[in-house]
Parts: sequence; structure tokens; C-alpha cells
Amino acid sequence: MKEKMKRMLAFMLLFSLVAFAAGCGSPASPPASGEKTGTGAAEEVKEDDDEVEKTAAGPAMNSKAQEIEQVLMDQLAPLPEFNTGEKIGVLIITLANPFWVAMKEGYEKAGAELGIEVAVMAAPTEGDTKSQLETLDAMVARDYAAIVASPIEPFNLVPGVVRANKKGIKVINLGPPISKEALKEAGGWLDGRITVDYEEQGAMAAEYIVEKLGPAGGKVAIIQGIPGAGQSEGRTAGAKKVFEAAENVEIVSIQPGNWDRNTAYNIASNILQAHPDIRAIFCCNDVMALAAADALEAAGKREGVIIFGVDFISEAHEAIKEGKLDGSIAYSIRVYSKAALILALKTVQGHAIPDEVFSPLALVSKENVAEFEGWE
Amino acid sequence: MSNDAAQGKRIPYIRLRNIKKSFGHVIALDGVDLDVYPGEVMALVGDNGAGKSTLIKIISGVLNPDEGELSLNGKTFKHMTPSRAIELGISTVYQDLALVDCLDVASNIFLGREPLKACFFVDKKRMNRESEELLRRLKVSIPSVITPVEFLSGGQRQGVAVARSIKLQGRMIIFDEPTAAMGVSESARVLELIRSLGDEGFAVLVISHNLHHVFTIADCICVIRSGRLVKDFRTENTNPDQVVGFITGSNRYTEEYTEESITT
Amino acid sequence: MNRTKIKLLLGNIFPQLLLILVMLIMVIFLSVASPFFLTWDNFRNVFDHSSLYIILALGMTFVISSGGVDLSVGAVAALSGVCMAVAMQNGLGVGTSILIGLAAGGLVGAANGSIISLFKINPFIVTLGFMSLARGLALIITGGIPIYGFPRAFTWWGSGHIGPLNPPMLLAAFMAALAALVLNMSRFGYYTLALGGNEEALRRSGVSIHLYKIMVYLLCGVTAALGGLIVTARLNTAEPLAGWMLEMDSIAAVVLGGTSMKGGRGSIAGTLIACLLLGILRNGLVILSIPAYYQQLLIGMIILSAVIFAEVRSRKGLASTHKKERSTAV
Ligand SMILES: Nc1ncnc2c1ncn2[C@@H]1O[C@H](COP(=O)(O)OP(=O)(O)OP(=O)(O)O)[C@@H](O)[C@H]1O
Ligand SMILES: [Mg+2]
Repeated sequence: MKEKMKRMLAFMLLFSLVAFAAGCGSPASPPASGEKTGTGAAEEVKEDDDEVEKTAAGPAMNSKAQEIEQVLMDQLAPLPEFNTGEKIGVLIITLANPFWVAMKEGYEKAGAELGIEVAVMAAPTEGDTKSQLETLDAMVARDYAAIVASPIEPFNLVPGVVRANKKGIKVINLGPPISKEALKEAGGWLDGRITVDYEEQGAMAAEYIVEKLGPAGGKVAIIQGIPGAGQSEGRTAGAKKVFEAAENVEIVSIQPGNWDRNTAYNIASNILQAHPDIRAIFCCNDVMALAAADALEAAGKREGVIIFGVDFISEAHEAIKEGKLDGSIAYSIRVYSKAALILALKTVQGHAIPDEVFSPLALVSKENVAEFEGWE
Repeated sequence: MSNDAAQGKRIPYIRLRNIKKSFGHVIALDGVDLDVYPGEVMALVGDNGAGKSTLIKIISGVLNPDEGELSLNGKTFKHMTPSRAIELGISTVYQDLALVDCLDVASNIFLGREPLKACFFVDKKRMNRESEELLRRLKVSIPSVITPVEFLSGGQRQGVAVARSIKLQGRMIIFDEPTAAMGVSESARVLELIRSLGDEGFAVLVISHNLHHVFTIADCICVIRSGRLVKDFRTENTNPDQVVGFITGSNRYTEEYTEESITT
Repeated sequence: MNRTKIKLLLGNIFPQLLLILVMLIMVIFLSVASPFFLTWDNFRNVFDHSSLYIILALGMTFVISSGGVDLSVGAVAALSGVCMAVAMQNGLGVGTSILIGLAAGGLVGAANGSIISLFKINPFIVTLGFMSLARGLALIITGGIPIYGFPRAFTWWGSGHIGPLNPPMLLAAFMAALAALVLNMSRFGYYTLALGGNEEALRRSGVSIHLYKIMVYLLCGVTAALGGLIVTARLNTAEPLAGWMLEMDSIAAVVLGGTSMKGGRGSIAGTLIACLLLGILRNGLVILSIPAYYQQLLIGMIILSAVIFAEVRSRKGLASTHKKERSTAV
């Protein structure tokens, strides 16, 4: 009898889990409904959701962002026809990273604004190249007019893009590049590309750091993302170039943090152990920069070290305001995702578009962070 | 009984000399000498933890002795391995039976010696057929030879383990408490089997706590106490009380022990 | 006698029948829910994607049946892909390079098995070590940068065409048939199950358990390397980070297919069906545009239900059928 009770209890638990999932699932299942879907996910993501809600209710649009949007829109003129109801699929990297969660929100909002149907899909984790390809394959089997894809690394989506090409689905590449040579060899092509100049991001951050260090210079370190990933290599190269050119600045360590908070934390504390006189750490994204700041804080050595990230996620925004982080390189996620959808629409409607479009960048530091209130 | 001929030759099937084995601080065997003769059923008796199972595991190659040696067929070994023991004709029914629960009866009986066809496929049909025949001959009743062993009762499992040791077709068969879980009629059958093996010229070593059984089947009885072989008797020269005395080590017989061991 | 046989057979394949039923329900549901699901192109996708999981899960079925586990398969797939790539870069032929990659996988597998068996260390720990080691080697060999661009004869293994099918699908089908024969009908298969059921009993039967254990892990290493071949050939890239979490996917498929984590019981058919089921699930969720979070959640729930079901059944259902049989002797 007791056994039976226990078993019943276990099943009830399981079913309540299912019911819970169904509960949060129902508003999320129709694509592009604009509802938030991340309620069950990691804390990081949740935080980010709150943030998005807050900013959405906040000031209409920040002047800095408007400025940037205008720059980009000029690049994209003439604009395509809107409110045509086209279905556009978006494949991002993972929903386990606040940046991509914010991108998803951006796409969905922009889709509603432009009057088109947008469905955003993702790989389960940031390293799962194979699943991402499979997700793309399944998307190609649907009826999208265009797909905006951001690959985990340059080659993993190539076969899927070729299939999309064959089916006449337009493919726009956003962010990390899909290898054009590999595509060409496989008999495929990209219909457009929009990206951020990664080297420029690294260089901008490094220039700020060099200026702050002044003529005395000092020791600096770089924490990379996953070695081999485009953003990571580009940002590292840009920063390295600037650091090497500067007098009295010495790069003492370049370590891969794999975009991972915990790894970056450990690396930062190790660097501090090896070089107690470190003056600055440039991290290839904000998540790692925040971790590095935590590590130095924990060691009681946060004072006097410049820590810089990239992406300007909302957590970094808060951190810069509080002085926990020295700065970040921003590009407007809202503008970025909207531009990608506009590009996609243009190709679908038969407009010619430039080979490569760059999203404009902005440097955020404690000096100018106030201007970024309401930035998306 | 018919062991006169065997006694006449007196060439042991296996000879153990000064076998010592300890597990950490526990000394399980402390210098055991033992000869087992073909055509003779030897019973090994002793209290729990006396070292009986350890001794037969050394003979069957499951354990390596710390010291001492085993001689067999004129060859001397520092230790056995299970495969060497089987090759040399020693098969064993272990106290824990050593059956693979998830495999069926036939596969257990043939474990390690599956017949093959086309050099690759296990000849399942032949295994089933031969197992059925064997079990019928031994009068072991089980539901079917394709039943996984995990669904058998304790006595049925022992029956399968006994059948497996017979199937090995060795010249020496060791039984470690083979009837412990069996019913009255099943044990009687197994005892009969053991006796007949002795009569057919096999060297048989039986461990049992049931002195009544021991006295019905054994030609000789060895008593182990605390890892030492304290006494061995011809069955016809002793009685259960005397054996119990040696097993427990009560005073009445320990004095006799020194003289008798010289005479035998 | 015959009745027993039929009952045993039914008892053995019941979990697989149930999986097929679940799969059918899923297929029907997805076909109704989306016009894009029930098309040949999409089914080809499902088979194509499942082939990698199938090949890895086959080796894993042997390991888990033997009472072990191999956490290194994802990393081994990456390492062998990288080895093939480097071999080709150095001018070796495609065939030789593939053999080198497979050998690398087999070597790691054999090393896994040797350490587990000879030193009697928990397979979880040993293969965890080799997971990290193989991943590290792959990163070192490539310097963290994917190696790209191989001869057509190599990429054929991932994206060639054989009639309406492709090499990975056929390789998976062939390997599955072979694995079923080996596990159910060969000595190696018997001993694999016996290792999981009662290793000591097998040793006492005079069988070299070291040899067979090493062979089980070696086999798993080779199937992982075959997986590496498929990924590398399909993407025309050897990435050090390929096969991420593949070990978890294959363990999940094997367990879902009815192979017991405790060892001693293994089903190749079950593994095959489970891989297809998971493949359809992943595909269907994307087709329905359900976000990635829910994919993880659903797959987790399916696996949990399957293992709970299997445990409950093995405790009472199956056991009672056999108890009734006891009265009817041979
Ligand atoms: N693998 C082992 N590890 C540690 N100690 C052991 C091991 N096997 C046996 N022993 C110890 O060795 C001693 C002899 O054990 P053994 O099993 O030989 O006794 P036995 O005479 O067969 O007893 P029983 O009649 O209970 O079967 C015991 O004290 C036991 O605890
Ligand atoms: Mg014993």
C-alpha cells in the first residue's frame, strides 16, 4: 500500500511538471507572438527578461540609439514594403545566453513593428554545432520566405544553407560569419550578411584602456571566448593590435574563457595570482567581464584594474552604472535585429543589397553611461 | 564400497602443500596440506568462516594463495587460474553459485564454452537441447531452459549450478554446500549424484554443514578449523560426535588429535 | 514450453513495442499539426540526423549492457574527426585517413577499457577523464581552429547520395544489423551481457573478462570514431568542439530503448527505435516552432517516464509472469 502511494506521488509530481510546462508553453507556442518564453530557464535569462520589460515600459527611445538607427537605415535605403505578412525564420545560437535572449526579443519586436511573421529557433547549447544544423534543416522543411542565421562556427550550418538555397529560401547571415568559401564549394551562397566589426570592437575597447592607463602603461590581459569562434578571434586580434602598438603596455596573458562565467572567473583569479600588478583585463564578452570583476572583487583587488567587456548586455549596463565594470562596446540589439529583418525582406522582394552591412558601434564607459538610459 | 581399487593406487588427483591465504588481517588459511584422490568423495567440514570456501577457491583458481603450491598431473603450480583449472578438469559448484542472473538456464550451463556454428553464431538450439537432456538426467525441475536464471527459486538455481559443473566434464568436481537451499527430495538426488560420481572414478570434494549428509556420501572427512586442517578421518573409523568435537575444538578430542595425526 | 517461449519473447520486446506506439502517436500528431512534417524531405532529414545518434548509441548499448558507461564518446568523435583531417592535410589518402581516425577512436576505447578492467576503476570516472583528455587533444591538434575543406571522396561519407538515401543512413542501418547479430547471437554478445549480469561468474567460467571488457570499450570507441567521420564529412570541417554532449544523447537513447543501466540487459532494436523517436521529437518541435527550452524539457520528461516505467515493470509485471510459470516443470 505504501509503495503504491509513493509511486502515485512520483507520478503526480511528474504530471504537475508536465502541466506546468504546458502552462508556460501555451502562450509561447505560436511563433512571433511577442510573449516572453524564458520563464523556466536559467536565472541569468530571467533577470534579462525583467530588464527588457522595464526598459520597454521606460522612456520611448534613447537619442543615442536613434542616432545609430539612422546611420544604419541610410545604409539600407531604399526600404522594402512592410506589413506584407512574410514568414521569416530566425536561427540564433542559444537561449542560454542573455545576449541571444535579448536578440530574440529584438527580432520578435521588430517583426511586429514591420508587420511580418517571425519565428526564432536556437541550438540547445552554445557548443552544440550539430543540433544547430539539424534545427536549420527542420526550418528549411517549413515555408519560410527567408531565414536569418547566426552560426556557432563558420562551417556548421553550411549544408543547411545549401538546402535552403536549393529550396529558394533566402538566407541572411547575422553576426558570426558562415564561411563563404565553404558555401561556394558546397554549391551554396548567402543572400546577405549583416555583422558587427569584431576587430573594431576589440580595438575600441583597447584604445580606451590604453588611454586610461596613460603614459605609464602596465600589464594587461585578454580573456577570449571559445578559441576559433569568429567574435572571439576578431575581438582578440583588434585588442591585441592596439595593445602591442601602445608604449609601455605589456600583454601578459591571453586565455580562452569559452564565453563561460565560471571559466572566466577562474582565469581572472589565476591571472591575478600570477600578476598582482595587472592593470587591465579585456574580456571578449560582458558575461566574462562581469565574472572577472567578481573574481577581482573577491580577491580584494578590484581597485585600480580596468575591466572591459563587449555586447553591453543589461547586466553590464547596471554594472557600469554601479562602477563594477569599467565599460563595454555596445551596438543596439533592437537596431541590429530590425536591420536583419529588413535585409531579409529586401531580398525576398527582389531588391539588391550590399554584400556586407556593419552595425554601428558605441563605446560605453562610466563617463557616458548616463546617455545610454533606455538603450535596447 | 568400491573404492578399494582407488585406494590401491593412492595417486592423488590434486595435492596441496602448505597453502596460506590471508585477507588483510584475517588469516583464512594457515598452511593447509590436502590430497584429493580419484574415485573418492572427500567431505570438508568446519564452522562458518573456517576457510573451506577459500580453500576450494584456491583449487579452482578464483583466488591465488599467498604461499604454498598445488600439484596436478605431475606438474606443480604456484597458483591456478579459472581457465587453467577448467582445462585441467576441475569444475566447481560455488557457494554463491556464480550464475549470471540475466542469462537463461541454457546459456548459464554453457557459459564460457558455447558451441558455435559458422564460427560466429552461438548454437542456441544445440545448447537448449543438450541442457534439457542434462537437466532431465539430473532430474532438476525448472520451467524451461530459456527462462532467465533470476526467475528461478534458490533450489532450482543450485540445480542449474550443479548441472553446469557436470557439463564441464571434468575429472574433479567440487561442491560448496550444493544442497543448502534444496528441498528433501532434491537434496537426496544431488547426494546420490555425488556418490555416483565418486563411484565412477571422479575426484569429488564436498563442503557441507550437514553431518548426516556427510556420513552418507563421504569416503573420508577433513575438518578445518581457523584455517588449519586439524584432522582427517576415514568415514568408517569415526562418528558424528567425534567430528563435531574437532569442528568445535572441544577438549575431549584435541588430545587424541596429536597421536592420531601421526598414525594417519 | 511454447507458451513460455512466447511469453518470454513478448515480455522482452514489450518496451520496444511501447516505444513504437509512442512514435506512431507522435508521427500522427505532428502530421496533423503541421503540413511540413509528413514530407519525404523532412523524413529524410530525420533519418539523416538520427544516423549519427544511432551509430554512437550502438556502441553505447554494448557498454551499458556490460554494466559500464562511456562518457568520452562525444570527445572521441571530435578527436577522430580531427585526426582524419590532419592526416588528409598531410597528404594521406582518404581511406588511410579514415582508418587512422577509426584507430584513434579504437585506441581511446581500448585505453578506457584497459584502465577500467585492469585497475578496477569505476567506468564513470575513467571515461570522464578520457572525455577531457580527448577533447584537449583535439583542441591542441587544431589549435582551437576548425580544419576545413576535404576531398569529395571524404565528404561523400557525410553528404553523398546513394539512391534516395545517403551514406550515414546506410552506415547506421548496416551497423545496427551487425550490432544486433553480435549482441544476440555471438559469444562476444553473450559475454557482454554476462559482464553486466555477473562479472565474477564469467571470470570463474574461465573467460578472460579483461579481454572482453577492453573489446566492449574498443567497440564503443570505434563507433564514436565512425560518428566523428560522419560529422566531419557532413560539415566538411573537423571541429575540436564537434560532438558536444553527444555522450548524453547516446546514453539517453540507449536507456530509453530498454537497455538496463545496471547491465545484463540490452536491446539493439530498442536503441534504434529510441534514436528515431528522439530524432522525430527534435525535428517535430522545430517544425512546430517550439523554443529550445521546451525541447530539453520534453526530452527529459520522456526519458524519466521511460525509466520509471521500466523499473516499475521489472519489479512486478515481468516477475509475476515467470512465477506463474514455475509450477509447470520441463
Ligand atoms: N574476499 C574476502 N575478503 C576478506 N575476507 C574474506 C574474503 N573471503 C573470505 N574472507 C574471510 O576468510 C575467512 C574464511 O572464509 P570462508 O568463506 O573460506 O569460510 P567458510 O569456511 O567457507 O565459511 P562458511 O561455512 O560460512 O561458508 C572468513 O573469516 C572470511 O571473513
Ligand atoms: Mg563457505
